[in-house]
Amino acid sequence: MLLQLLSYLAVAVFVLGILTKVVKYLRMPIHVRWELYPIPHEKGREYGGSYFEELNWWEKPIEKSFIGQIKFMVPEILFVRGLYHDNRKLWWASFPFHFGMYLVIGWLALLLIGAILNIAGLSPESVPATFLQSLAVIFGAVGFVLGTAGCIGLLILRTFDGDLRAFAAPKDYFNLVFILAIFLTGLLAWSSSDPSFVIFRDYLEGVITFNPATIESPLALAHIILLSLFFMYLPFTHMTHFFAKYFMWDKVRWDDERNLRGSAIEAKVKQVLNYRQNWSAPHIKAGKTWAETATEEVE
Amino acid sequence: MMKAEKINPKDISRPSEQMVELDPADFMKLPYPYDKGEDEPAFKRLTEDQKKKYEASLDGVLAVSIPKPATKEEEDELVRKFLSGLEKLLTKENNWTFLQPLTLSLEYCAKCQTCNDACPIYVSSGKKDIYRPTYRSEALRMIANKYLKRGGKLFAKIAGNDIELNWTTVARLAELAYRCTLCRRCAQTCPIGVDNGLITHELRKIFSQEMGIAAAEIHTLGSVQHLKKGSSTGLMPVALKDTLEFLEDDIKERTGLSIKFPLDKEGADILLIHNAGEYLSWPENPMAFAIIFEAAGLNWTLSTDLVGYDAVNYGLWYDDVQFARVAVKHAQIAKKLGVKKIVIGECGHAHKAISVTADRIINEEINIPRESSMTLLEDLVCNGKLNLDPKKNDFPVTLHDPCNMVRLMGVVEPQRNIIRKICPQFREMEPHGVRNYCCGGGSGFAIMSSMNFPNWRSSISGRMKFKQILEAFQDVIDPGIKKMVCAPCSNCKGAIREIFNYYNAWEKCGISYTGLVEFIVNAMVDIKEPYIEWPEI
Ligand code: SF4
Ligand code: SF4
Repeated sequence: MLLQLLSYLAVAVFVLGILTKVVKYLRMPIHVRWELYPIPHEKGREYGGSYFEELNWWEKPIEKSFIGQIKFMVPEILFVRGLYHDNRKLWWASFPFHFGMYLVIGWLALLLIGAILNIAGLSPESVPATFLQSLAVIFGAVGFVLGTAGCIGLLILRTFDGDLRAFAAPKDYFNLVFILAIFLTGLLAWSSSDPSFVIFRDYLEGVITFNPATIESPLALAHIILLSLFFMYLPFTHMTHFFAKYFMWDKVRWDDERNLRGSAIEAKVKQVLNYRQNWSAPHIKAGKTWAETATEEVE
Repeated sequence: MMKAEKINPKDISRPSEQMVELDPADFMKLPYPYDKGEDEPAFKRLTEDQKKKYEASLDGVLAVSIPKPATKEEEDELVRKFLSGLEKLLTKENNWTFLQPLTLSLEYCAKCQTCNDACPIYVSSGKKDIYRPTYRSEALRMIANKYLKRGGKLFAKIAGNDIELNWTTVARLAELAYRCTLCRRCAQTCPIGVDNGLITHELRKIFSQEMGIAAAEIHTLGSVQHLKKGSSTGLMPVALKDTLEFLEDDIKERTGLSIKFPLDKEGADILLIHNAGEYLSWPENPMAFAIIFEAAGLNWTLSTDLVGYDAVNYGLWYDDVQFARVAVKHAQIAKKLGVKKIVIGECGHAHKAISVTADRIINEEINIPRESSMTLLEDLVCNGKLNLDPKKNDFPVTLHDPCNMVRLMGVVEPQRNIIRKICPQFREMEPHGVRNYCCGGGSGFAIMSSMNFPNWRSSISGRMKFKQILEAFQDVIDPGIKKMVCAPCSNCKGAIREIFNYYNAWEKCGISYTGLVEFIVNAMVDIKEPYIEWPEI
């Protein structure tokens, strides 16, 4: 029962923690434009051009290429493409680490679907259920192996590469060892006591139906505890970059939305120009709004 | 794999005479004919007197040149102010302009160091640790985490934030904020989306907006003078009018054309604003604009209002308040004249300042459209509105991409289309376009000339550009073959001029530089004499 409580708590903390961060970024005011080219949604300008290349650009319609953005994002997310080009040494560790993570998330999702189907009355021996479970075995096993290898690779680089070590903190090692322990217990539990991941699926079923299941395998138990703790820890680390990247890319790097007359941007700018700044340098009068500060006569 | 210990971010707090020694023998190698290193000028060291007077313990170079505080109390007060500035940077009222980008960049660096090799300064210096894009960012991040976050001090060691915020740290950060050109090449390679150029920018703002500390050339002599006298060059409206009359005579002499610069013409279609540095250092550039605009029959004007004849906006590099003041002035002048659009001359940072960054400052009725001169000129050249003969530009040419215009604004092809059309021997530098390297003069460096900073600029921050230029011309490197770099930006031209002088590039390789419009006028069929001038031999 305690174990299950931990899992509930983990989900709750995870969701709340992430939501708090999302809301924090969402509530920040509009910022000045600071985009960086190439911007993949610029249609037909893969070389990095912008609508500023058009004569009288403000008279032309805005053409955004959704496909261009997808074409950029998919290999970036799945294969860590940027690192492949710009830092191959690290990619050899980072790619298996991230891909392993995706597979493990897929593994969890497959087990969850299996558990739900089971609850819905589908026999675990039926074709769809066995298929799902076999898929989960592939995702889980490959994910744990890749993740373990990636973690070890990252730990080695952090420790022995001078450039990485110069910036390394105890926390960075802790994070890597923590994740390594999760991958490793998953891998060992699979290879020693749960080759078809039935224990994990049944545990999830117990969680959904509020029916505590007993876990016999100490490795599976360790895996579940570590994973639950990790879910509670993650929202408070920089590992939330998995969603913060949306803000960094979409809301900063690719934010080329123009301020047209009568637009929503215009209204937001009007609002922020009324904030009162409080800077202390001699050329600034503290306490004035930005609109006043920008237009006052200076000594 | 184990290498010698690197300088890590917390070392910045440890007092020492100097963190690094700059020795040209360590710098990145240049191609032929500089490959032997014999022509590398000796690096100018500070005098003992200068070292005694100013805070130079970063790298023995002075850009900001902060006088050493006389007492411990003074030091403590400056440290306190630094921290209060950092705190303000993280509030929306004081920093709505960059709060979201800054917060994200402070929170998400994975310390993977992927960005390092993208930085021309780090690489050119022979990979000096303190010039890593991540070095100053990490130091600032550690200070913010330790001194401004709840529990920051308690967990400083575990979280890797055990930096000491003392006067040594602050003084070194002030100089270090001026060892990055804000080219943002590093940001382009960051797999997460962290922007170390932005963090440098914000660091400069703490010094300027809170402590009143900035490089004199960009603040006191720069934006302050711009707002007060009308131009950061000190050129006042009366002198401008005199200069323009003189240029009209010069046009007549060189081309036979009688052209009058249209001034303060209400209701014109176009308000053209140049970087006023052109009038003083490269008058052939505004002259060429006038020749082209008149030949194309455009309805245009210049302004002689204070600020209205100088497109620069130095605030972009260090101070949001000064930035907003200049941007608003430019827009108000355009509004007063009732023009349809502002066209920005050949000045990269002015392009980005008024088109991109100020797009969310100049609001409502003063929101007049702004356009790049590159785009307008492309229309004139490529749509047959001028009578041009490319054979008149039959010499090797390469094109420099100003970061602000290209990587940071996306104006990439118009200037290329022009050059491709009128320069038969055009060749690209590698890499180019949005992956270009900065001229080394970005973020104010081109105009900063304190103590030995110019040496640092030409030999380190401009080194990658010089390497690219030499590589582009390797097949014609003989000084007997005259070659030209086209740099459509005043600051880039200034920086390139200094690099060429530093390395005697004209004498040794026959390489010179000019802007873009000069090539267009040089190719005009109706102008008999060559318009492009080469240095004296
Ligand atoms: S800024 Fe980006 S590329 Fe550079 S170290 Fe941080 S995460 Fe890596
Ligand atoms: S902005 Fe440019 S100069 Fe500054 S750290 Fe990044 S790459 Fe280097």
